[in-house]
Amino acid sequence: MLATGVVGAVVDPWIRWSWVSGHVDVITAALVQHIELTLIAVVVGLLIAVPLGLVAWRSRVFRGPIFSLTGILYTIPSLALFSALVPLTGFTTLTAEIGLVSYTLLILIRNIVVGLNSVPDDVREAARGMGYRPFAELVRIDLPLAIPAIVGGMRIATVTTIGLVTITALIGKGGLGSLIYDGLLRDFKTPLVVGTVLSVALAFVADLGLAGTQRLITPWSRGRAAT
Amino acid sequence: MNFANQVLQWFLDGSHWQGDGGIPHRTFEHLTMSGASVLVAALIALPIGIAIGHFGRGGILAINISNIGRAVPSFAVLVIAVELVGIGALPAFIALVALAIPPMVTNSYIGMREVDADVREAARGMGMRDRAVLWRVELPIALPLIMAGIRTSAVNVVATATLAALVAWGGLGRFIVDGFGLQDYPMMFAGAILVAILSLIVEFSLAGAQRLATPAGLRPSKPIQKEEPLGTARDTAMAAA
Amino acid sequence: MYLKRIFGLGASMVALALVTTSCGSSGGTASSASPKGTVTIASFNFSESIILAHIYGGALKNKGYTVVYRDKLGNREIVEPALENGQIDLYAGYAATDLTFVEKKQNVTLDAGTDAQANVQKLNTLLSSKGVKALDPSPAVDQNAFAVTKAEADANHLVKLSDVSSVASGWTLGGPPECPQRPFCQQGLQSTYGLHFKAFKALDAGGPLTYAAFKSGAINIGLVFSSDGAIAANNLVVLDDDKHLQQADNIVPLIRSAVANGEVTALLNSIDAKLNTPDLTALNKSADVDKLDPADLAATWLKSHGF
Repeated sequence: MLATGVVGAVVDPWIRWSWVSGHVDVITAALVQHIELTLIAVVVGLLIAVPLGLVAWRSRVFRGPIFSLTGILYTIPSLALFSALVPLTGFTTLTAEIGLVSYTLLILIRNIVVGLNSVPDDVREAARGMGYRPFAELVRIDLPLAIPAIVGGMRIATVTTIGLVTITALIGKGGLGSLIYDGLLRDFKTPLVVGTVLSVALAFVADLGLAGTQRLITPWSRGRAAT
Repeated sequence: MNFANQVLQWFLDGSHWQGDGGIPHRTFEHLTMSGASVLVAALIALPIGIAIGHFGRGGILAINISNIGRAVPSFAVLVIAVELVGIGALPAFIALVALAIPPMVTNSYIGMREVDADVREAARGMGMRDRAVLWRVELPIALPLIMAGIRTSAVNVVATATLAALVAWGGLGRFIVDGFGLQDYPMMFAGAILVAILSLIVEFSLAGAQRLATPAGLRPSKPIQKEEPLGTARDTAMAAA
Repeated sequence: MYLKRIFGLGASMVALALVTTSCGSSGGTASSASPKGTVTIASFNFSESIILAHIYGGALKNKGYTVVYRDKLGNREIVEPALENGQIDLYAGYAATDLTFVEKKQNVTLDAGTDAQANVQKLNTLLSSKGVKALDPSPAVDQNAFAVTKAEADANHLVKLSDVSSVASGWTLGGPPECPQRPFCQQGLQSTYGLHFKAFKALDAGGPLTYAAFKSGAINIGLVFSSDGAIAANNLVVLDDDKHLQQADNIVPLIRSAVANGEVTALLNSIDAKLNTPDLTALNKSADVDKLDPADLAATWLKSHGF
């Protein structure tokens, strides 16, 4: 069947357009679920990563454990993490999200720390000289200057998450991954191709969108050559 | 018996260490598949990245190929490979090679570009021809980043090889997939632990190899310095070095 | 001023997230006002199960129930516990296999037989304390079957499973990962037929991986389903179960008692009465070989049978 063809079977082209036009609702639902799962993961990931990143930045004591823990989470194979959560939290969005958020933490926290570290010392000294108190300095000087690094991390985290969402097809979710999974279960190329192409397209759109957003919110960097 | 104890008992069970389905054989399968994929990917990716970096052309593609690679879900690549060549080790191998190539192309390109123009000029001024500049100047300096790319790919491959169990291959992913299918959670956890350990071993040995391969004069004197912000492929590559 | 810009962008991102989330679930909210309640139906990882789930679900929807599908949820090890703990409400089971599964789970003697009604009665006895009911079994049957390639059968003169004993020790058996632990799968082949294979290859439940493994010669004998639509198309022959390892695996809905009111029960039972094996086989072929949509096939079946 697979690859070698089945005697007497219908020819299975890589894209059967009649399937696509007849399944716009299924494809759209899959795409929407994919976007939902990704957005929630990255937003929640950021909400967790920012405070943890600030702690790791400031505190030498906590930096090690924070990086170790998020690093370990990152090394757990995704299939195992999702599967292991099922008996605890069921075949739910929560299960998928716990896994997806875990994988964003390492890259987000690392980029937050490096971004904050990269704020030039003389800038911070000048701020202190002008009378900025620590919190104000953080919010008005350090974080804004760290934005390229943070958004850079968000881009990587988002694209990685979009890929990982496909694996949640194995625990009843999946987004576009459920099309890919259907392709596997029925040896059916069209949903496989549609799921893959839309997944890649979504990743590109998200990446470019975030890059554009970064340019919008860091007007001072527009003068320099694009990196 | 609490869960941690059950997992321990799973490891202590002698039958889990024997035969084709045992830990040693599955680990061997996993390691050889990962190693072979990374090796073949390196044979393809490194010359491309190094050449692009050396000649300075096609940089945009080289920089972005790792973004493109990251955007393609590995699950999809695996299933597509199965549709192309059937089940077994071959589609897993093809998918893993495809996965491993992008980070190595990008990192080796960036490594080559990071070579200070002055150093290159000095070398040429000393009378070195192009090939000598490449082998005796550029490559040693670019080596840390090239190795970082290999490391990134290797760790990704070890993790992704677990998915290949979904398409009837073996490896440590078998414990995870079969464990979930049988609802045998000690088996599944044990599989996850084994993969994580293997990942860490690969990461650390390659980091060690990288340190050995870096000429003494180029080794960073302090482990953490004022790093550049991450966010571009270049910066990610350097942070991994 | 700069901060306001950041907050503005952050707020729009969160708003975008909320909008997309509500867009995605608007289907549910629109009909959540249905007084008849929601039924969550799961299916196993193969087309027949998905078709049956959508047949049950389509009929229930036509009667005004809100139906949520959990398609391709997994194998029985995953789906049956989900039913017992209330994560799902209904799935299409197979009388003998489900009985054996539950008996094993509850450490009771395995005694599934050739009488579907008897199997269902035993199921009900065991499941009543779990809040689960088995409804009426259908005449449609789908049980485990073991197939070899036609070439293999011809070469070794294989017609029935007992014939395999002469070659089993050098052969590889293919099946879903749970096969070695299932009495109607590898365990049964060992105990009833005395077949001890050289190796077992974990594939899927009579799906593309199994067929591909036959094609590539990775397995000599594999588990398929008796109602599978692709057996002949793949040059396979099913070996006769001469020692009657398989028992009456009639389709039977397994449903949470809380959801099984009079109307639901009557509806599902009348669907079961109209299902038959040839129809099921044809539906499977349409889904697996012709790549038609299980949900569409279910809708067509419902219409032509007056649901």
